This record gives sequence, C-alpha cells and structure tokens, in this order.
Amino acid sequence: MQISKAIITAAGQTQRTLPLQTLVDRDGTPKAALAILIEEVIRAGVEEICVVVCPGEESNYRAAAGRHASRLHFIEQPSPLGYGHAVWCAREFIGAKPFLLLVSDHLYLSRSAKGCAQQLVEIAQAEKCAVSAVQSTHESKLPYYGAVGGRLVHGRQRLYQVESVIEKPTPTEAEQRLIVPGLRAAHYLCFFGMHVLTPAVMELLGEAVQQAGARGGVQLTSALAKLAERQRYLACELEGRRFDLGASYGLLTAQLALALDGKDRAEVLAGLVELLAARSGN
Amino acid sequence: MPGKLVSIITAADTAVRNQSLDAFCAPASLAGLMAECAELETFRRRSDNLYERVRALFFLYSIHRFHLPRKTGVAQRGLVPFHGYEHLLQRRFEEAITVFLGCQQADGPSATISSALAAAYQRLAFQTLADQVRRSVRTVAGNRWMFRMGHPADHPLRLRPELLRRAPDGTFPILRERTPVRMDMSHSGWSDIFFLGMDYPEGARVLNVSIDLGVHGRDTAPRPPVEAYLRVIEEPLLRLTSVDLGATADVTTLAEVFDFARDYLGLLKAAVIAAGIVPPGIEGSGQSLDQLLARVVGPGRGLEIVSNVNNIPKGSRLAVSTTLLASLISALMRATGQAQSLEGPLQESERRLVLARALLGEWLSGSGGGWQDSGGLWPGMKLICGALAQEGDPEFGISRGRLMPTHRILDANDAPPKVREELQDCLVLVHGGMAQNVGPILEMVTEKYLLRSDAEWKARQEAIHILGDILAALRAGSVRDLGALTTRNFFSPIQTIIPWASNCFTETLVERVRASFGEKFWGFWMLGGMSGGGMGFIFAPGQKPAAQTLLQQMMSQTKRELQSALPFAMEPVVYDFAINERGTHADLIAGREAMLPQAYYALHVPKLLRADPQSLPALRRAELDKFGAACRTHPELGGMVQALFDRLLPRLKTEDGGGQSLDALLEQNGFDRALHEQIRDDLKNGRIGLAQNRLPVNAEITDVHDGDVLDATNGLRAEDIEAGQDALARGELAVVSLAAGVGSRWTQGAGVVKALHPFCKLGGRHRTFVEVHLAKSRRIGRLAGAPLPHVITTSYLTHGAMEEFLRRHQNYGYPGPLLLSPGRAIGLRMIPMERDLRFMWEEMPQQLLDEQAQKVRESLRAALIGWARQAGEGSDYTDNVPSQCLHPVGHWFEIPNLLRNGVLARLLEERPGLKHLMLHNIDTLGADADPAMFGLHLRTGACMTFEVITRWIEDRGGGLARVNGQVRLVEGLAMPREEDEFKLSYYNSMTTWISVDKLLAVFQLTRSDLASEEKVAAAIRRLGARLPVYITLKDVKKRWGHGQEDIFPVTQFEKLWSDMTALPEVACSFAAVPRLRGQQLKDQAQLDGWLRDGSAAHVDSLCEW
Repeated sequence: MQISKAIITAAGQTQRTLPLQTLVDRDGTPKAALAILIEEVIRAGVEEICVVVCPGEESNYRAAAGRHASRLHFIEQPSPLGYGHAVWCAREFIGAKPFLLLVSDHLYLSRSAKGCAQQLVEIAQAEKCAVSAVQSTHESKLPYYGAVGGRLVHGRQRLYQVESVIEKPTPTEAEQRLIVPGLRAAHYLCFFGMHVLTPAVMELLGEAVQQAGARGGVQLTSALAKLAERQRYLACELEGRRFDLGASYGLLTAQLALALDGKDRAEVLAGLVELLAARSGN
Repeated sequence: MPGKLVSIITAADTAVRNQSLDAFCAPASLAGLMAECAELETFRRRSDNLYERVRALFFLYSIHRFHLPRKTGVAQRGLVPFHGYEHLLQRRFEEAITVFLGCQQADGPSATISSALAAAYQRLAFQTLADQVRRSVRTVAGNRWMFRMGHPADHPLRLRPELLRRAPDGTFPILRERTPVRMDMSHSGWSDIFFLGMDYPEGARVLNVSIDLGVHGRDTAPRPPVEAYLRVIEEPLLRLTSVDLGATADVTTLAEVFDFARDYLGLLKAAVIAAGIVPPGIEGSGQSLDQLLARVVGPGRGLEIVSNVNNIPKGSRLAVSTTLLASLISALMRATGQAQSLEGPLQESERRLVLARALLGEWLSGSGGGWQDSGGLWPGMKLICGALAQEGDPEFGISRGRLMPTHRILDANDAPPKVREELQDCLVLVHGGMAQNVGPILEMVTEKYLLRSDAEWKARQEAIHILGDILAALRAGSVRDLGALTTRNFFSPIQTIIPWASNCFTETLVERVRASFGEKFWGFWMLGGMSGGGMGFIFAPGQKPAAQTLLQQMMSQTKRELQSALPFAMEPVVYDFAINERGTHADLIAGREAMLPQAYYALHVPKLLRADPQSLPALRRAELDKFGAACRTHPELGGMVQALFDRLLPRLKTEDGGGQSLDALLEQNGFDRALHEQIRDDLKNGRIGLAQNRLPVNAEITDVHDGDVLDATNGLRAEDIEAGQDALARGELAVVSLAAGVGSRWTQGAGVVKALHPFCKLGGRHRTFVEVHLAKSRRIGRLAGAPLPHVITTSYLTHGAMEEFLRRHQNYGYPGPLLLSPGRAIGLRMIPMERDLRFMWEEMPQQLLDEQAQKVRESLRAALIGWARQAGEGSDYTDNVPSQCLHPVGHWFEIPNLLRNGVLARLLEERPGLKHLMLHNIDTLGADADPAMFGLHLRTGACMTFEVITRWIEDRGGGLARVNGQVRLVEGLAMPREEDEFKLSYYNSMTTWISVDKLLAVFQLTRSDLASEEKVAAAIRRLGARLPVYITLKDVKKRWGHGQEDIFPVTQFEKLWSDMTALPEVACSFAAVPRLRGQQLKDQAQLDGWLRDGSAAHVDSLCEW
C-alpha cells in the first residue's frame, strides 16, 4: 500500500486563523504553523497535499505555505456541514487511493528520528490497512477528542485493533465501551489528529453526506466506527506528542516545545530562567 | 475435618446446601453446638466467598440467639463486657466478637454472652452484605469514573448544546422526563433484595408492570406520576425544587450538595451526585460548585432541577421515591450526553445504566429498595430476573449472581393485549393509608433465606412457583386465575416467610370486600414489601366502578375503627391506573410551552412578586412574563391567581384537634401549669436535663448478691403455688395493666395506643396487647374459680380510644370486672434544649450506622439542632395536632391515679377481700397472675415484690443494683456512668406484686382515706416530691402533605415507678423469673425473634381466648 496523498483540513470556523500563525521552527526559522505541518507531511514521503479551506481563504493559506505553496491543491468546503464533510470534499483529489489525513490546528513533535507522520505512514504501509494515530489521554480530556476502544494486536506494542470509535464520549460511555487493556486507569486512546485512511472511508462519508443533506453534522468518527466493522482498522501510539494550537496557551506551548527541541534550546531556557528569577525576585 | 455446618455451607449438592439450621440444632448437644460454632468461626474468617462468610455469620447468629440459650448447661446469668459493647456500637464487629468469645472461653457459655454474640454476628453479616453491594455499585462499568474525579478542572461532562439554545424571549428550553411507577404482580418472596439476587439468581424473579396513576375522583386521567425537569439558569448554582414537598433551595457549595438531610431535597441531591454532575469523588475536596458548573454548563451558569410526583401519597408501595430518583438521573444523564437519547424513550443499555446510577443514588442517600424499583424506566410488563455473574462482572468469583438483574419485556404472546385491558378493568388499586418502614422486613427476608428454615424455604419455592403460574395465567389471558394466585401468594408463602407483611387492617378489609362482593371478588394483591399501604383488589369485569366507590368507604370506615391502634399516615385513597407501554420518556420544550409544573409557580412566583422588579435578573423577568401569559391562556392555570394571593397573604391557621384546642385539653386533663413552668425554668437554667438525670458520680453501683434475689426461674415450692391459688380463690388479687402510653418506640412516635395494637396473630387471628392480657386473666380466673378483676390504666392519649375499643369488642368477652383507670395528670411537651440533644447524640454511646447512613443521620441531627434553636429551646411544643403535643408524665403516676380517680376505692368497696395488685407493663406479655409467683409474694410479706430477669444485651435501661449498699432498681437514665449498667446482671421487668394496705401506708393513707380527695391529693404530692423528675427526649411524628411524616425529638418529664424501691420505708423483695415471663416487646423489629424463639407459643399457652 503506497501513500502519496494527504489532506489537511482547515475549514473549521474556529481554526481558520490558527494555521496562519507564525512560529519559530526547530531550525530557528520563523514559519507559519501550516508550513511546519506541510514539512511534517513531506518528511513522510507524501508529495501531493490538498488543503480543505473555507470559501475565500485560499490566498491566505497559499501565502502561509511559503515555499511549499506550489505543491498544494486547495478545495473549498462550501458550507460547514461537519468535519466528515470537509474530508469528503477532497474525494476527487484522493481518487481510489489511501491517504494521510491531518488537522491543521495541531503540530507534532517526534521523540524519534522519524517524524510522527512518517511513523504512521510506515505502519500503515506495513499493515496494509487504515491506521489512526492515538494518544493515551486522561478521561477529563474526553470532551475534546474522538476516542477508540480495542485491544493490542497480538505480539505488538502500541498497536491496537480498533473495535469501537466514539466522538467526544462521556466517561460513562468510555468505561463501558472504550476500555483498552494495558492503559493506565482513567486513560483512553484518543485521536492524535492524524490518520492514514483507505478509500472505503470516502464511500462511508459519501453515504453519510447523502443522509445528512443540508442538515449537515457529518462526522468522521461515525465513518471510522463503521470502518471498524467492515475492515481491519488499527490505532497506533506514536513516538511523539501533539500540540493543539486551539487550546488555551496552545500556541505558546507549541512554540516552547519546538524551541526546546531545536537549536535555540539553550537561549530559550535561559530566557525562561531569567523570567522566573525576575518573578521570584518581585 | 470440617464441622457439619461448614459442610452444609460448602456442599455442592443443593439438597445438602439447603438443609435447615434449626433441624440440625434442635437435637444437638451443647458440646456439639459449641464445637460447630468454633468451626464456623474459623471458617468464616478464612473464606473469601461472600455467600460462605455471610451464611456462616447467620448460622452463628441463629445458634447464639435461638439455640444455645436453651441448652442444658448454659448459665442464664452473666454480664456483657462494656468494652465489647462499645466495639459493637462503633461497628467494630470483629473486635466485639473477639471480646465476647474471650468471655465465653473464660466463664463458659451463658445466655447473656450468647445474646451479645448473636447481635454482633448479625450486624457483621449485614455489614458484609452492605459492603459488597456498595463495592458492586461502585464498580459497575460507567459508574467508576465518578469516584476518581476530584477537581472541577477534570470534569469530563458537558451540557448538550440543545439545552443552551435560548428561545426568542431569552429563556432556556426545559428537558422534561416523565416516568411511570412500577407495580409488582409478584416478587417471589421479596426476591428483589440485593443479597437474594446475588446469591440465588435462579430464585430472584419479579413480574413488574409500569403504570400511570391518578387519584380517583381528584385527577382527570392517569398519567406518568413522576416528572423531572431540568433547565439552564444564568446563576452559578443549583436551584432544586420539590414541588410536592413545597421545598426549594439554591445550593451554592459542594458541601450542601452532599448534605442530604438538611432539607427535603435529599433525593434531588442524590440524583445530582449519582448522575455525575457533582460526582461522589469530589466530596470533601474543598473545591467550589460554581467552578464545577462553569465547566459543565458554562461560566456564570447553573442548573435548575424540579421534581414532581403529582401528589401521589407516600407509602404507595409503587416505588415512587426510587422512580423519582431514576427519573431525575435519567434527565441529568440525557442532558450531559451520558445517554444518547435526549428525547423519547431510553435505549436498553441506557436504562440499565440509569438503574445502576439509581442504585448508587439510593445508597448515597441512605435509602434502599430492591432492584426492581426502577422498573418504571422500562415499558409495559417485564420479567426481571437475577443473573449469574460472568467473567468481567465485578461480582465474578465473589458471589454467584450479579447486582444488576436482567429485564425481559413481555410481548403480545406473553401477555396478550386483551389480558392487559382486562387487568385494567378488573384491578382496583388503593392506598390504605398506612405508612410503615419496610426495612426490618427486608432484613428478616435475608436472614430467613440464609437459615433455610424448613417452612420458609418451602414457602420460597412456592412463591417462585406462583410467579410461574401468574405468567401462565397472563399468557392464557385469565385475570380470574391471576387473582386467585396473588391471593394465595399473600395468604400462604408471603405470610409464612414474613407474618408481619399482613396486618389486622388488611385482613379486615379483605374479609369485608369478600363479604360484599362474594364470587365477584377475584383476589387480593399485596404491592411491594408489606400490606396496609398500596394494595390491589381484583374483581370480575364490570364491578370496578362500584368497587372503587365501596372500597373508598370501607377503607375509611376500617381506618376509623383502627386508627388508634395502627399507624395511619393519611386518609385512604383509591387510584385510577393504566399500564404504561413506553416507559420513561423525555421531551425538550422551548419557548412559550416551556413551563414547569403549576405548583412550582405557586412556590416561586410570590418571592419574585415581592422582589423589586428592577433587581430581578432578566431571565426571571422573562419567566414571570411567560407565566403571566400562560395564566391568561392555559385553562389549567385558572386557579393560580387565587393560589398566589393566598400565598402572598396567608390566612390564620385554625386549630385542628377534633374541635378542642390545646389549651382546653390541658385544662381538662389535670395539666399543672405551675409545675410545668418550674420544670421549664429548671430546664433552661440547666438544673435539670439529661445529664442531671444521673445519680451522683460518687454513687457506688454494684451488682446484687446472690441472697438479694429470690430465684423463681426453675419453678417454685408447692406451698407457694397452693398459697397463691387459695388467695386467688378468695379474690385477694387484681391485675393492673399499664396502658397510658403511646409506645414511642413501637411506632416511632406515631401516637397510636400501643395497648390496642393488633401486633401478632395468636390463636388464629390478630390480637391486641390488651386482649392478650385479658385472655391470661380469664384463664387464671377460671382456674381459681373466681373471676380476676382487671384494671387498665389510661391517660388522655389513650382513654377515649381504649373505652371505645373495648365497648366495640364487648370487653373481649372478659368475664370479670374490667375497669379503666383514667389518668389525672398530663404534661405539655417542650422544644428540646440544644444541650440535651448534644448530650444524647454526642455523649451517650450511640450505635454508629453504616458509613453513608451515618452521614445522613449527622446531617439530620444538625438540622434538628437548628430547628430547636430556631423554635426556641425550652418553649412549649405546639406545632402539631394537640394529641402529639401532650405527654403522659411517667408510670409512677399510674398507681396514684388509681387512688385519686376512685377506681381503687370502688374496687375495695365492692371487694373488701382484695389485698394485692399485680402491676405490669403493657408489653410484658408473659406476665400473668401466676399462683406460684403470687404465693412467693405472699411468703415474702413485702410491700412490693418486683420481678426481674437475667440481662441480655438488648435489655437496656437500668437494672437491679446495690446503690451504696442498698438493693434497689435503678433507671438507665440515672446511671452515673454508661458502663455501670453493664455491671448489673438483672433487668427490671416492671412486673410488681403490691400489697395494697402496705402501699397505702407508704402514702400515709388507709382504705377509708380513699374517700377523701384532699387527703389523697396531699399524700400523692407529698410522696411524689421525694421522687426524682427525669427529663427525657421522645420522638414525635408530625404528619403533613400526602402521607409525609417528620420525626422531631421533644422534651418531656417523667417520674418512674421503679424509684419506689429507693424509698427506705418501702419493704421490697426481688424475684428472678424466667425470660419468657419477664421480657418486654419494645420494638416491632423484635417480633420475629419473639415468634421464632418460642415466646409467642408460650404466651399463647397462658391465654384462654
């Protein structure tokens, strides 16, 4: 299974400006968050990238992509009919091929030599099926994420066979349907914002879009829940962390993480120490 | 080699495992039983299996309670070590057992120490069960997270966005949940109690029907009686309102949410917690409620929760409270996305989760029913069954069954539509008006199940079989067969397992209905845990309208006849009902239609109208606008303006005392205002009070010596019997039964006449206490050849009822003179002093309750202390019906009353040969005018001979002692230290043989002086002044609303008869009598043991009906 295409969704009403924010990357270069994300995709060996945006946003995004702008395809989501609908808008770009899917308001920091997207793509190619990146998450964060339930693939670490998928579950539901052996108490596997999906997902989304009509509310998680019933579908904990730019202090935290992982680490640390010292001196 | 009883418990073969303990113990020797107890003790300590541990504990309890004390070689006299008793009170059951076993080891077996061991084993068994239920409830998947969450920032629930969408007028939508109640057609012998389902899932089967309800003649049509409402408010608090209880509160702190007994909103609070809005894990965290609500609902916002049960009276046996809890939880879970269905019915998985949360809520609020009580969540008719624990269940490996049962909804084959229709046309549902605590019954059921006593085990099998037959009758469409089966169920297995499920009221009603309707009366049906409240009567088709009318009349008539004898909480009602085929159901109402129940506005609008309109939040103003518009357009709100006017300008309260005011009653019944004011003054100034009841701490209290007590426990001399018989034949004795009291403990302050309570079936029917005493006197009179005069003392509280009751029953056919001795003194209860409440609750040893129940109790006590402060400590208690404000002033006055009211003078005039009285308490059922005891009294030549019994652990309240060397009776209230009572091996039975002339001499009177009122009054005052006044706290019930009852502690004073033994000029002797003769029945929870240990049969043998 070869993955050569990626979708980055950026059509959410609340996230449209986040990918345009400028951060200083690990190499000390200021870049838009979108550009950092595109580099993550390219590092995974995926060359064709489609960005799903709100109508009229293409030029802003193209500008933010900098030197990568030329390789981007832009598709507009005409009206906000749900995250699943945004993904479905890119169906023609994808065709009948598996694809990498990322949200545009997250940044990823790998703890290994390989980038997060690269790790995910390699696993999907090896396993020849859809794989979602997941992260063990405390139940208090359940209102923010989709979550999966399942069990470890026999003989493997951090790779799970997905049995159920629920969008923003309550802990009540999670305890009943999403318990995964081996996780710490009160922790669940929540989506990392990064998936490798098969074309079957587009079919499922197509059905959902048709059913929903103008009412909208098409969710990717519902399609993934059906996918788990039809195909082998895995979830994988990657060697890395995600940073949600939309959370409180999300941009700041992401920036600090990038800086502390990059060439200016010493300078940033010194700056932080100075700040703390000045504060405690007050 | 394990003991035989251990082998019974562990046997795989059910025939062996289901052997009866009684059958094994009856022929066993003392040594054999002691060896078995030792084996059971070792076994229960090492077993990990819940069933094995609990059954071993019940075996040990039963052996010590019912078998060992009767074995030859067991000492009857002994002492309970006080530190063991303290362990017991503090729920340190294992430590208590160790101490008691140590005593048994050192001193040999005794009935006294066995009574202590029995109590400890029984409490430990129930604690073990309660712990397991708690563990199971907490570990049900979906409930666990709530115990982990301890900070608002971690709160994982969010309110669904639909509830935050405002209407154009600015108001938020209302989520309304409507839930039917459940009625059970058979519970297979209370098989829905937790332990039965967890141990014997095959036998745990209930046929449960969801119904809509209306009060016949009041409501236009049946509807789901339980409603829960929820909406967002623009204030960071929880606004809780129970419209039925007329209670509302703005809860602003987490501590208040967990304070269940602070107000009438405990059930709503339990729902908020069990639904996870305020998860149990956050209790005591010190965090703030507004932060938590900000997380769940949004900053600056809160929730308003309203409950309504449409004035369905309490005690309906239709599980209204549990249904309301489940309904509230369901609404709250829908609102927070824990149930997918925001509107409409719930899915099966959601219903099961709500059930699990309702069980949790019941445990939190200290209440508790069976697992079928949330049955109204499900639609129509369903069979609820216990289920074997499977791998993955929290109970797996611990108990055979699961906590959570399974529900199978009956389809059209199981119960065709025609039979459902016919059932609705033939069944008359009623509430008889009695409200009783089912708790003790449920404990008895557990105990009897584990002991497998032959008759009860067979009855359980029969009850299970009857359920099968009821299902077959439904399938066949025969309501007539159904009626026959429910009747058989009630009169056979149910009463064999628990005789107390029936009562005189119920059986009288059934008899009368049968007499009126003959063949057209198809059957009786007990709803829930016991009869007297909710009940069903099945009639032939076409009879229902007439039956409803007649039943209302019959119930009211029968209630009037028995209301002095049995605790009625309300006037009986007849219901209209309909089977509800959809179960709990929710809808989201918005805009003009988003109205709360009518009574909500009656409660809240007056407050809003009184407030400055400018200061009202916009949302409240919009609410008022909406309500105003609705009043103009909704016909059902037509009476609201008048209702609001009445609330804004309350009318003066009128007296309700059968036409007599409290003042008039005090005037007529010898109320001594001067003494009352003196007592109030002393009470307020701390000169008297609970602490001051006690003898000086330097009083030396020791047990009596062997020679101080005459032993009458093993028969008496032939010459005593002969002397007694001769004196009886000469007419020298009269019996005096003390019946002035209302048995505060017997009915928890319900104010019924204990003497008239038909407490037990003896000789084939329910008998009152007074009937039993007369039956004993009848027998003795016949044996002596001379009818025995029998005097019953009364007070204002009991006289009228006693007179009427005896007249109606023609004195129970008593052949001898039967006289009532009316009271001549009455007291007025007072609001207690905070000091006395704290002394009773904080300084006197108390039985600690199970963890959660104790929390609820402490919260209630704090509220009652607040009530006493607010109402005015030491002021008159007048906020109740007059009869509940008055009190008799102690049994010392009852003999002086005999002198003062002329009854003794009349008796002596008619029977100059009368020389002695036998005085006894109404609840000392084994006491009779036994010739041998009479002969013994004659032999002593004493002024008074007091009968005492050897002490068991439950015999609290004083005893026979040497006080500074003087042998006398000491009241429990007067013990300088709690532990002093535990040094005393004899307990006072209160039965007293009195030589009339010697007693008169103590009063400095002669027979001829009895004609002089002044002389008698002066003599009584003179002697009375030498006796101590005790301050006591008694429970009194205040009834209100629809069957609601509150219990308040009130202060009263008493002078007590046993203090006569402290007077040096009174020659007293003391005789130890067998327990069967001297024991007292103080609490209805004792009845079952009394029946099982042979006491009832003994009393029956003394009676001639």
